[in-house]
Amino acid sequence: MQPMTPRRILGVCAILASALFVAMVVSLRLGAYPMSVTSVVTTLYHGAIGQMDRIPSDFRLVIFGIRLPRIAMGIVVGASLAVAGAGFQSLLRNPLADPYVLGVSTGAALGAIISLIVAPHVPLAMQIAAFAGAAATIAAVYFLGRRGGQLDSATLLLAGIISASFLSAVIMFLMTTLSGRDLRGMAFWLMGDLATPPQISISFLFVVMIAAAGAIYTTASDLNLILTGEQEARHLGVNVARVKIVVYISASLLTGLAVSVSGAIGYVGLLVPHVMRMMFGSDYRVLIPASAFGGAIAIVLADTLARTVVAPTELPVGAMTAIVGAPVFIYLLRRRVR
Amino acid sequence: MLAAGLFAAHAAASARATQESAPTSTHSTRESQTVIDETDRHVTVPADVRRIVSLAPNLTETIYALGAESRLAGDTDYCDVPPDARTKPHVGSILSPSLEAIVGLKPDLVLASTTINRRETVDALEHLGVAVYSTDPHSIDDLLAGIEHLAGILGIAPQGHELVERLQARLAAVQTALADQPRSRVLFVVWDDPLISIGPHTFIADALRRAGAESVVETTQNWPHVSLESIVHSQPEYLIFVGDHGDNVPTPSDLRARPVWRDLNAVKQGNIAVVSGEVDRPSPGLIDAIENLAKQLHPSAFANSAAESTR
Repeated sequence: MQPMTPRRILGVCAILASALFVAMVVSLRLGAYPMSVTSVVTTLYHGAIGQMDRIPSDFRLVIFGIRLPRIAMGIVVGASLAVAGAGFQSLLRNPLADPYVLGVSTGAALGAIISLIVAPHVPLAMQIAAFAGAAATIAAVYFLGRRGGQLDSATLLLAGIISASFLSAVIMFLMTTLSGRDLRGMAFWLMGDLATPPQISISFLFVVMIAAAGAIYTTASDLNLILTGEQEARHLGVNVARVKIVVYISASLLTGLAVSVSGAIGYVGLLVPHVMRMMFGSDYRVLIPASAFGGAIAIVLADTLARTVVAPTELPVGAMTAIVGAPVFIYLLRRRVR
Repeated sequence: MLAAGLFAAHAAASARATQESAPTSTHSTRESQTVIDETDRHVTVPADVRRIVSLAPNLTETIYALGAESRLAGDTDYCDVPPDARTKPHVGSILSPSLEAIVGLKPDLVLASTTINRRETVDALEHLGVAVYSTDPHSIDDLLAGIEHLAGILGIAPQGHELVERLQARLAAVQTALADQPRSRVLFVVWDDPLISIGPHTFIADALRRAGAESVVETTQNWPHVSLESIVHSQPEYLIFVGDHGDNVPTPSDLRARPVWRDLNAVKQGNIAVVSGEVDRPSPGLIDAIENLAKQLHPSAFANSAAESTR
């Protein structure tokens, strides 16, 4: 294994940042409203130097009103889910952990729905409720997933699946209290959808995402040691309990954040950290930033597909990630069993 | 609300005046009107609405019925009545249309329906500065008032008034014909598996009443999921299915072969009515569906008039 120097971490980040940039350009170029690369570039150029009035109003709306905010949301959601996934995988010492598979996304969705019914239009209520739902679910799954005081991989996944189905049932029940109009919106949101701009500012979401992902990053060296065994890590002076609490709260926060803006988008938290491990190794110091970029790329591309495959009709992005994600999950599961 | 309505009327009147005196008015100097839609949102649109995008088949149909189809810049994949609506540029499905396709059509006004579209779509368009007018009819009266209001916004109030009067006259004729008829107790089947019916606060329930029928389903929900057991208990006189061009509608022999369904009296007696998909759409075509249904449920009430007209 190569030594993990800051230079190498920055190198990986630079490669992934370039890939994200390419994904963003592709996403900006494609859509139901036909735009040439030249007009995308000149629109961006005029926007960047503050000459908004020189851009045709349609281009301004399509690029700055629709596509860029949606890409920004995709980046926040993708990075949050992938880092949360990497966090849960370390916390539970299970490479198949993922906010969606563990039922954490469903818990966050339930929290968000309760807040919509009890306190609609209260700013941040949905985000806080989604975080609470995520945190409560992961705690429940953690305790249900233990056998004889040890975390058991199969039991943990079962606990997650059962929690998710229980929480979905509660969601179904609550949805019967909604009017048809709210119901249609809710059904779309549950599938994972980026078409609707969030009620709160995207820059605020970015700040929270970077803070929570940064908190997990501070524990990266300790997570590496914990990966070799909690006992060993303790002997080496790692405060295992503190690390777990930090990862637990931050990963729940990231899941709650992602679910509150885009609904339950599955499999990104599972697959992205896996692919990043295959490409750059399992050192958490590089895995966490790599997962953040990888998740952002995955969602931006998946959402571009969702917007374009049956254009002008749009698919929920969660449908795109599940179509790709579920078969890969089964492949990973079978490979582990063998 | 009254003040805004007066203002809208005034703006519309002055817009007509300016159109006559200055037909070459450019985009930047267009006058605007502020109107209140059926969900109580304030919507500011140009006084002369030139480009309309419809997000719901019933509203597309209404625009055609008002003779304003030349101003319809785009509609959805589901807008198929009249057939010419299919030739308009499409902006996607009714639940997830493409915002950029809508914006690209440069609409002065987007029409949406609460019974069909998502609130999120309306919010997102409003956020982008696109004027969206939402309709929310819960009865035939709501529908007719909505058509007149919309015609006023489009500056074609006389056409709207004429259309509504014509529809009201047809409804009155049905009502006269049905005067001595007892109401049929019916099961309105929105969807047969799982069984979805209607609640009392829907425009379909109102359409049934005007066609001389009442639903056997007692519920507070608008689109209740009903157990077949409760239908066996209430034994409706007629089953009403919705179908266009004969698709997806079970035939009487299909129903006689289905467990439980075959034990319903209505199925045994062949009392099955099929009404066109227009009944699902709060648009002028709904009146056609009411007339058609009334004739199916109460053939005797229309026997004389049919005989008279053939004579």
